[in-house]
Amino acid sequence: MQKMIRKILIVDDSPIARKMLKSCIPRDQGYEFHEAGDGREAVEKFREIRPDVTFMDLTMPVMNGYEAIEEIIRIDPKAVIIVVTADIQVKAVTKVMKLGAHMVLKKILRKEDVEDALLKAEDTLRKFS
Amino acid sequence: MDVKKEKEKILTDEEVDILQEIMNIAFGQAASDLADVIDIHVILSVPFVKILQAPELPDYIRDEIRDICNISIIEQKFLGKFRGNALMVFPSHAGKELIALFGLEENTHIDADPVETLGRETLMEVGNIMIGACIGKLAELLKDSVTYSPPRLIIENHPCDTIPDSQLAADDSAIVLKTVFSFDKGSISGFVFLVTSHESIQWLKEALRKFIEQYE
Repeated sequence: MQKMIRKILIVDDSPIARKMLKSCIPRDQGYEFHEAGDGREAVEKFREIRPDVTFMDLTMPVMNGYEAIEEIIRIDPKAVIIVVTADIQVKAVTKVMKLGAHMVLKKILRKEDVEDALLKAEDTLRKFS
Repeated sequence: MDVKKEKEKILTDEEVDILQEIMNIAFGQAASDLADVIDIHVILSVPFVKILQAPELPDYIRDEIRDICNISIIEQKFLGKFRGNALMVFPSHAGKELIALFGLEENTHIDADPVETLGRETLMEVGNIMIGACIGKLAELLKDSVTYSPPRLIIENHPCDTIPDSQLAADDSAIVLKTVFSFDKGSISGFVFLVTSHESIQWLKEALRKFIEQYE
């Protein structure tokens, strides 16, 4: 079966959080990684590289994750955005899902949750294609 | 020694980054625990880590909260391998607003000085929930176990020039973890400062190294 995910954009203001997320993504799948340190940079990178999947933090300087999701969905309503956040309040989760996020993963990440999220993203992208 | 050099001496940039991310996760837990009790959404900010000399601490806190000039501070000590003081700073009107958010207005006829008493107790309860969840998560992530002193209202309705002197020794260093938060209802916003003394630092460095090793 053809792989649907090639480019992954990781958005988090914390370099450590980006490193932690990357370590949970299988290394043998040939993914191409891109990174952004805030929502503004994420929107610019999204426009430029058109990632298949975007992992998005919410609490960030310059532009937060909510605003970035809104802008990215405006650019591509089918964008697959997986929110990775420490803000696990029900209202935060409801809000990002309404904005168009694909799913929400709670920090601290577990490898199996990330792998499962990528499988679900593959399925979604396959349906869209 | 200037703050930058002091910071370099005590924690590396990577250690500061790890601590910042752990604080982010811990405060996310605190916000979630509070939102489970009252119907609010706690709006979080990016946490901030700073290394200070103990005598600089009162001035630092005073500078940080200068926009809120009537404040209440709830303090709770935490004791474990990671030990120190947690300070939660609210504007002084927060107690009354929190009574409404907790739906407790109907209880205000019980005491002679009901609003003040209930406001004080509500503030301490909110402080207890948030500090407990935050420190608890932080300790869990760093594989520590902590106990707490009961929350104490150390400043009530005083202008911000009355921040108490640090209880740390004058030549001690302090790691200050600061998070700013606000609620989506009412006009409450505040700060959480975690101040830990020099004696926790060696343990903390080792705990941070072990934490990040899982992700190497």
